[in-house]
Order: sequence, then structure tokens, then C-alpha cells
Amino acid sequence: MELERDETIERVAQTLAVLPPRDAQAVSRVMTAVHAHQAQRPSRLTLVMEWMRQPSFSVASAGALAAAALVLGFFSRGAFGNAGSDQSARSTLEGQPTGEFPIPAGVVLPASNSHEVRALPVSLVFDARNAKSVVVVGDFNGWDDSKTPMVRYGKDGPWTATVLAKPGRHVYAFLVDGTTLVADPRAPRTKDLDYGGDASVLMVTPP
Amino acid sequence: MNFIRSCATVAALVVAVASTASAQQDARLTLIRDDATREVVRQQLGGALSRGVPVEPMMAKALEGVAKRASTKSIRAAMARLEENWHRAAKALAPNPTDDELGAGADALQQNVPESALRSLRKLAPGRSIALEIGVLTQLVARNVEPGQASKMVLELMARKATGTQLTALSSAVQEDVEAGLAPAMALDLRGRGIMSLLPPPSAVSTLNPRSTPRP
Repeated sequence: MELERDETIERVAQTLAVLPPRDAQAVSRVMTAVHAHQAQRPSRLTLVMEWMRQPSFSVASAGALAAAALVLGFFSRGAFGNAGSDQSARSTLEGQPTGEFPIPAGVVLPASNSHEVRALPVSLVFDARNAKSVVVVGDFNGWDDSKTPMVRYGKDGPWTATVLAKPGRHVYAFLVDGTTLVADPRAPRTKDLDYGGDASVLMVTPP
Repeated sequence: MNFIRSCATVAALVVAVASTASAQQDARLTLIRDDATREVVRQQLGGALSRGVPVEPMMAKALEGVAKRASTKSIRAAMARLEENWHRAAKALAPNPTDDELGAGADALQQNVPESALRSLRKLAPGRSIALEIGVLTQLVARNVEPGQASKMVLELMARKATGTQLTALSSAVQEDVEAGLAPAMALDLRGRGIMSLLPPPSAVSTLNPRSTPRP
């Protein structure tokens, strides 16, 4: 069965199918305006200043700003810390002869779960019966003589303290009565190449 | 101008410069009683921080000098050496050294461990901390073992999966032998061979599945 064709609909369709005549001058004016708008796009500084002048305030924008401040702070710390040195390291190492020691072929040790390692408790004991106070100072507590005071074991017993130190080599000493630095007689010693004299060495092993 | 926006902007700037300012306002500076020394340390801290060295090791080096009653000049020189060694360690231990590794590396360089040894350690174990291994190497060199021999031994033990305990035992044993009068080179050779006899041969190590042999 053939569908009937409505003449009115056909006429409307034919009329709409024909595009109206294009006004070339109007097109030119529009394009000129678009180009002019692009050329006059405000600078970032202008946008920021405009943003500052806006009276409206939203929690979202404040939150975003606070988050940006935190991120900026952390990154600035990183930049002053490792990040900068890493970058310089990469740029300096490129093309540089390594002079490395031979490593058995095919051996690369596995990665641990974390590059960082935990500090472990280490007990130190020091015999100084006549001392009135003994403090442990070392690189594990930043050589801060207020951080790790030792406690006498019993009335006349040895002085003891527990420090937290990460696996590796540490250098330390005992500060007796706030005036005299003494090396640990129980520990191996090393020469202090910066300030002279001997320092005690603590080797901390991972569990 | 909206007051809250202004406050937020100022806060962002304050946070950004806080890390730099903290170096010069560290409360531990008050532990340094001498005014001249304190000012020198403050300047050294600020300069080092701006060049990428964190405050903690620099402050520790300064307080170490104060505890040892070192002169202002000595403290300044020690801090400058640490800063230089920190940068050298960062290059040798690239690309992602931790502060612990950098501290150990700077300490090693101070004891005349060559940078090439640090690079080799990093190359052998790129994905985990090698602060302990650097420390063992440093202590061996500090006990007058020749740096090349010490580096080779530590690398070989690492490659054969020696544990941290074994490496530390090596350091202690060599220390005792040297104090007992044995030549450092001989002490390292003897003690190193002893530990290696307990380890699997190199061929077995290189074929092991790394993930099935976690480091103790």
C-alpha cells in the first residue's frame, strides 16, 4: 500500500531545505568581533585581580585555595629538601663516567615495600657512678642535649637510656654533668674528622 | 575586596615561605648560647636550605660542634663540608635517595668513601634503603680498610643476599680484629670469606626469584 503524500508538508519541506541567502558582511563582522575578543583576552594577572574584586564567596573556592596553600607548602618543603637535589643529581649524572665498582651480572636486589625504614629502640648503658646527670647526644637525636637524659639504675647503678635509631651507622657520646663529653667504652670508636677527638659508633641492624 | 579571599591569599604565601623561615627561627638555635656562633649557624642553615639541604642534619652538625665546644670557625666549616657532601651524595645516590641515605652518604664521603662506591650500591639496590650498607662501608673505611677493597666486599655480600645482621657482624668483627692488631685488609678478607661461606653461590643468587627471598 502506497502512502499518500501531503502537498502542504512537501511544500514546507522544500521551503525549509533552501538555506537563506548568506550576508557576507554580517559574517565578516562576526568574525572580526571574535578575533578582536581573542586578541583582548585578559592576562592572568588581570583575571586574578578580577577574582579578588568579586564580592561573592563560596566554600568551594575557599577550600580549593586552602588546599592549594597546603600543596604549595609541602612542595616548597620538598623543593628545599630532596626534590631539588634530585633534579640536580639527574642533570649532573647525565653523560658522566661512573667509575663504578663491578657488580655481578644480572643481580639487582629486590625493592622493599617502602624506601623509608623505621627507627628501632636501642638501649645504652654507661657506668659513671659519680656523675650527677648523664645525657645521650648523637645524630639519632640531633645532638640535642635536652632530648635523651639517662636514668640511673638503682641508687648507685649504671646510667641507662633507650634511643630510637634507624638501621645504619650512628655516632654518639655521653654528656656528663652537662659539661664533659665521654665516648661509650662499650662501643667501637671512630675519629671525628670535623671536630676532632673520638666518637662512639652504634650500628643498628634491621630486625 | 573580600576579606576572606585576602586572608586566604596571604595564608598561601605564608605557608609557601614557612619552610624557609623555619630554618632561621628554629627553637634549637637557643641551645647555642654564644651569640656569634648562633648567628653563623642561622646564616648557614638559611643558605643550605635554599640550596636544597634540609635543616635537621645541618642543625645536628652545629649542635654537635657546640657539644664538643668547637669554635665558631670550626662549626661553620663543618656545616659547609656537610652541605657539600650532601650534594655529592645526592648525585651519587640518585634518583630518589631518602634523607637517611643522604645522611649516610654524606658521612661516607666525609670518611673518604668514593662516590663511585655509592653509585654502585645504589645501582645494585635501586628500590630500597641502603643506609645500612653505606654505614657498614663507612665504618670499614673508618677502620682503615682501603675504600676500594671495602666497597668490593660490601657489594659482593649484597649481591649474594647477605643480611643486615651479617653485614653488621662483618663490621664488628673487622673492628675487633684491627684493634687486636690484625691488618685491616687481612681482617676484612678473612671475615668476608667467613660470611660468604654461609651464603649461596653467586650463580644461585642470580637465578633466584627476588620476590621469593625477602630480606630478613
